[in-house]
Amino acid sequence: MLYNVFVDPFVQMADMPDLLVQVLWEGTVAGVLYALIALGFVLIFKASGVFNFAQGIMVVFAALTLVGLHENGVPALLALVLTVGVMYALAWSIERVVLRPLVNQPDIILFMATFGITYLIIGLGEFIFGGRPKAMITSELFLPRGAIDVQMLGGRVTFQKLDIAAAVIAGLMVAALAVFFQRTRIGRALRAVADSHKAALSVGISLNQIWVVVWFTAGLVALVTGIMWGARSDVSFGLQIIALKALPVLILGGFTSVPGAIVGGLIIGVGEKVGEFYWGPLVGSGIESWLAYLIALAFLLFRPQGLFGDKIIERI
Amino acid sequence: MSAAAPRPGETLLSVDGISLAFGGVKALTDVSFDVRKGEIRAIIGPNGAGKSSMLNCINGFYQPQQGRITYRGVERRQMRPHEAAEQGIARTFQNIALFRGMSTLDNIMTGRLLRMKVPFFWQVWRHGPAMREEIEHRRFVEGIIEFLEIEHIRKTPVGRLPYGLQKRVELGRALAMEPELLLLDEPMAGMNLEEKEDMCRFILDVVRQYGTTIALIEHDMGVVMDLSDRVVVLDYGRKIADGTPAEVKADRRVIDAYLGVGH
Amino acid sequence: MFYREAGQFKTSYEADMAVFPIRQDRIGLAIILVAAVALPPFLDSFVVGTVLVPFLVFSLAATGLNLLTGYTGLLSLGTGAFMGVGAYACYKLTTIFPGVNILVWILASGFFSAAIGVVFGLPSLRIKGFYLAVATLAAQFFLEWCFVRIPWLFNYNLSGAIEAPSRSVFGIPIVGASATPLARYYAILAIVVALTWIASNIVHGRVGRAWMAVRDMDIAAELMGIRLLRAKLLAFAVSSFYCGVAGAAMMFLWYGGGEAKDAFSINLSFTILFMIIIGGLGSLLGAFLGAALLHLVPIFLKFGLPELGVPIGGATAEHLTHILVGALIVFFLIVEPHGLARLWATTKQKLRAWPFPY
Repeated sequence: MLYNVFVDPFVQMADMPDLLVQVLWEGTVAGVLYALIALGFVLIFKASGVFNFAQGIMVVFAALTLVGLHENGVPALLALVLTVGVMYALAWSIERVVLRPLVNQPDIILFMATFGITYLIIGLGEFIFGGRPKAMITSELFLPRGAIDVQMLGGRVTFQKLDIAAAVIAGLMVAALAVFFQRTRIGRALRAVADSHKAALSVGISLNQIWVVVWFTAGLVALVTGIMWGARSDVSFGLQIIALKALPVLILGGFTSVPGAIVGGLIIGVGEKVGEFYWGPLVGSGIESWLAYLIALAFLLFRPQGLFGDKIIERI
Repeated sequence: MSAAAPRPGETLLSVDGISLAFGGVKALTDVSFDVRKGEIRAIIGPNGAGKSSMLNCINGFYQPQQGRITYRGVERRQMRPHEAAEQGIARTFQNIALFRGMSTLDNIMTGRLLRMKVPFFWQVWRHGPAMREEIEHRRFVEGIIEFLEIEHIRKTPVGRLPYGLQKRVELGRALAMEPELLLLDEPMAGMNLEEKEDMCRFILDVVRQYGTTIALIEHDMGVVMDLSDRVVVLDYGRKIADGTPAEVKADRRVIDAYLGVGH
Repeated sequence: MFYREAGQFKTSYEADMAVFPIRQDRIGLAIILVAAVALPPFLDSFVVGTVLVPFLVFSLAATGLNLLTGYTGLLSLGTGAFMGVGAYACYKLTTIFPGVNILVWILASGFFSAAIGVVFGLPSLRIKGFYLAVATLAAQFFLEWCFVRIPWLFNYNLSGAIEAPSRSVFGIPIVGASATPLARYYAILAIVVALTWIASNIVHGRVGRAWMAVRDMDIAAELMGIRLLRAKLLAFAVSSFYCGVAGAAMMFLWYGGGEAKDAFSINLSFTILFMIIIGGLGSLLGAFLGAALLHLVPIFLKFGLPELGVPIGGATAEHLTHILVGALIVFFLIVEPHGLARLWATTKQKLRAWPFPY
């Protein structure tokens, strides 16, 4: 028993390093996607203190809109532009209908309001585009297909070109966001709002405008995530369960840290793939569904503020 | 837990060489003073002098890095807040910390929680011992409500009360614990003159009626000088004076601290 | 006009501390209880089986979650799984000891989920808010996995589902294929009434006050001498007990012989949470109102609209339900964060003062 848990998996890793590399790569790709969803959360949390439960659904909704428009005869690139417009409209309406009336409410109320948004979006998406899973358009968006096989470590490791593209695009997007936050006027305003709503208002920052911008940015992140993710599987609301995986990522990385979201995503992605592949068979596999949460939970008990968060000092 | 409770005039609490820092920020440096049974002890000082931190150390919310706190003759280093409550230390807060979702009555009743011992099994039925216990404590709480003259807001959710009344309810909640030592953090902040006079009256009555020892933080110098038996003055986390109100008022360093050096 | 409390004086603290201090409220409650017992035999058994029984099951689960989330302020997304623990515990108990009254096992299964709830409540000392919500998600997914992967739990059935065996109480079958909806209704009604009364006792006493203190300001609560961990774990235990009983009742009194592998999924957790948000956090009445509304909306869209001549497909009805539920949540959080229960209280207040509100 002890041997099976503590020794055997490592023996397997050493025996077939090519397989290990393959598993690590799969984990990395999953991790990048988790990180992208988590990134959307972080953006909104930083700027509005809202823990946006609907981020996972926005991913699906964006992808669904894109595919749905294309199915109805809109050319792919035009559909992409229109979807960006839809995400803006979504951000604008959420700000107008939900956030504005809830300014200065306790965080937990806003959190629960995003549950409502989640269901609204699910309902709307299904109502307009139907509930069936759809296939993502890939070649129309110039995404590469196929795989590269690399001979290494006495075996062969397969890299999907799509996954490589996903990692590259994610990297570019994070870089762009970093510049946006650090260098632009709106980025500075965002950071001010994150500290205190009231204080930001008092120095003349328009909260409403900021919120629209931030939710729109999160919507764009969601669109990119949705395309990448949809290309790997189907586009359907079933993805929302997987989107919940972003929550443990956030716990690991801290709610306000962009690097944290990325590192957390990679840890969770790699951790659960390695755990599933090497330890899963011991307990009947399928542990992927909860391993991430358990990692996060264990982590919480030792470092409640996350990897990159500040130490919390309670005041009274 | 401790030896016999100290008699009036004896030392109830003594704080010895307390230092507290958050990261690199020093909130308190080597502060020592004592509180005697039955007196009103004021802690004063400019904003940020470390007064609230001092109270937080006394009731276990902060753990000082250095120094000793001796309460009822027992020295302690580490203590959780609920242990402080069990030993008879109650307090009110600078920014009111009432339970906003509950009525005045329920808020004050929480002060009796430590004294309510009927097991969960009886709570479930709300009859027999559980009901008798509730009624017994309700009677005590009604006494406090009457004492503080807040009968009319007994069933009002405290979130809807004006500031002055909230302060009074908070005092009531602390009194319901029948504390031996009561810590008041700016009990009169933000009050108008009339409310302040009421509050002073309540504080003096508390000492007389219940024999409670009080340590309080206050900014209103008039109030402090009239109310307190002895005053300790903090500035930048250090003690700069300690004595009767008259002595403290005359102290050079206190005047400097309040008015700035070179006035 | 009839809702007046004039002339009703309280002469003892006991009378003043009653849950329903106003006579009219007590009469109203009595009428509802009498109606709940006397009316169902005259109703269509379809209505009893698809409307009333599920409503009571949901109310019980919502009451349980409300004790945790509404009263103690600990957000949980693991309700579905805790209900599942109750269902599987009850199944094991009644198949191992078939001779014992099934109602005893339904109630006893609550203790199993209470124990599991305490284990997953342990992190609540160090973490709160969203963090705790994620911790309870761990419970949800881990337990869901157990329900599928541990065949001992479902007695190695090939379908992987619980099959409710026939069980009778006093010679009347209440579980299994031969149980009538009416019999099942009375069984769940008895459970719900008893447990609601107990919940009301708990929240009105010492324990309830400690919970609310923790909810409103945990730091101050600790300074009042409340041991946070003990209070929170007790809340987890009691809440999970209620959820467990509700889960057992759901499987045996509602689904009957049901195939229900995915019954205790995260979606169930959300449904129950939405019930208490819409009904009213921290209100026992709210759990019932929320359960009624959220259970009735889909039924109305699915069966009611076609009856009224509005053609609507099953899928469309489901989508509309999602939209409506989402909108309701947002609406209530904005307009009345305390939910339907507060609306009801406000109405009563107006009624008391009517027609001279000033």
